Amino acid sequence: MTSSVTEDPVEQAKAAIEYCYERGWTDGLPVVPATAADVAACLATTPLPADEIIGVQPHLGRSVTVAQAAANAIMAGCKPEYFPVVLAAWQAVVQERSSRGAWQSTSGPAPLIVVNGPVRSLLNINYAGGAFGPGFRANATIARAIGLIVRNGYGVRPQELEQATQGLPGRWSVCIGENEEMSPWEPLSVVGGVPAGVDAVSAILIRTVEYIDNRSTDSAEAVLTDFADTLGRMGAYVGGPHSSGGLVLGPEHAQLLGNAGYSRADVQEWLFSHAVRDPAEMAAAGKGEQVGDGPFRMLPSAEAIPVIVAGAANAAMSMVFRPFGWAAWAGRSVPVQWKEQ
Amino acid sequence: MFETIVDPTIGPAETLEDSRPALAPRPERLTGLRLGLLANTKRNAEQFLADVGRELAEQYGIVPVVAVKKPNIVETAPAELMAELTENCDIVVAGVGDCGSCSASAVADGILLEQAGIPAAVIVSDAFTVSANAMAGLRKAPGYAYVTTPHPVANLTAEGVKARAAQAVPAIVALLTEPVMAAASA
Repeated sequence: MTSSVTEDPVEQAKAAIEYCYERGWTDGLPVVPATAADVAACLATTPLPADEIIGVQPHLGRSVTVAQAAANAIMAGCKPEYFPVVLAAWQAVVQERSSRGAWQSTSGPAPLIVVNGPVRSLLNINYAGGAFGPGFRANATIARAIGLIVRNGYGVRPQELEQATQGLPGRWSVCIGENEEMSPWEPLSVVGGVPAGVDAVSAILIRTVEYIDNRSTDSAEAVLTDFADTLGRMGAYVGGPHSSGGLVLGPEHAQLLGNAGYSRADVQEWLFSHAVRDPAEMAAAGKGEQVGDGPFRMLPSAEAIPVIVAGAANAAMSMVFRPFGWAAWAGRSVPVQWKEQ
Repeated sequence: MFETIVDPTIGPAETLEDSRPALAPRPERLTGLRLGLLANTKRNAEQFLADVGRELAEQYGIVPVVAVKKPNIVETAPAELMAELTENCDIVVAGVGDCGSCSASAVADGILLEQAGIPAAVIVSDAFTVSANAMAGLRKAPGYAYVTTPHPVANLTAEGVKARAAQAVPAIVALLTEPVMAAASA
């Protein structure tokens, strides 16, 4: 009966997955084995040539091409039509200064990938309920593709060149659409320099997200006070001139702020001036070395506090996210490039 | 059976060494040599190297002629810093590799100095030998010898750094004066 087992396409598929495991190509979850035809299908979606180099790690002697990214995107579970978004996400990650050594860092950061534009509906990229996942193929696999490119393209693997102390939950799964429809403000990609209505991807390397649940007030300032407290948390400060932080606002909080007359810049300014700590508190936590005498501003500047809107309008909660390192978001979104049909 | 599966690791040719790098010949003694210190930006790294320099001055009468700090912990020292070291120094002590990326890049700095003919002693904290060794492997120098010091280094007091530097000196001296790559077959 052995022959009937090996002829069983399901058994063959499982064996192909095991083949990928044995070669060390996976992040621990099963991958979809990629064929040349799959790679070609991805390449058919993008104007970029197959052999164009899209990432370089000179200190590792490694670089990755568009075709290699395609193989890894397929392995991550992407449909070929996701590939232009994967490439834009990759470019958005690469242009972040903090990404140069991020993949080897003890901090073990993850890219927070934010998608704007009509492509969210086209590819069913979730921006509403449960935006951080799971349950949506595009969100889950676009983010995972980035991780597989790092692993297989750069050769950076955990407990080898990658030295993450603890890592973080969902390291290669943080891709959200922005809920433009319920946001009181312009899309994040417009802040990032891309015209409204154009598909674009933004990326920030983060170390974690943490929730602010505040559904018992109708005061914008009360909610902002709550945000500022979390943004000013000492644990996120790693020394140096400041900590860093950003917000993924649930639509209820975003609309509360918008209806109270706050622009995105107003929110950023309010948080920058209120996310402060007493140097004595910092010193008590062993973090007083570089904080000076007066109230210590935990965030680098108002504009370096990215404010994004995502999720469902069914409870007043938001997320603070923690950018990796001191570098704020580069502030440049990447337009998605489609192949002209 | 699965030869149609694309290997996702195959990309452009690697740009690092394609064969085992030659390491610098070792001097018989340190006396009279010009010492260089190559620090990274990790906390206590410069102090650690300065203390090593002070120990070497007391024990061998050599003083650092160049002490530089590279700007980026991830990458190897930029060409101008390398030139400053290779043009003015006979031996270099580099480190401290006490993080994920800087442990690997400290080893890479050491190998580059060796290839330029400068014996180098790289200091790595013992929590990061895996990444240090991985970089040695990438640079075709598996078994490349460096000096380890207990992790962590960043939280040591000035006195603690001084003691740790003194502790590392015998291994540094051995690495700079004794034939290296004993583990070359590793």
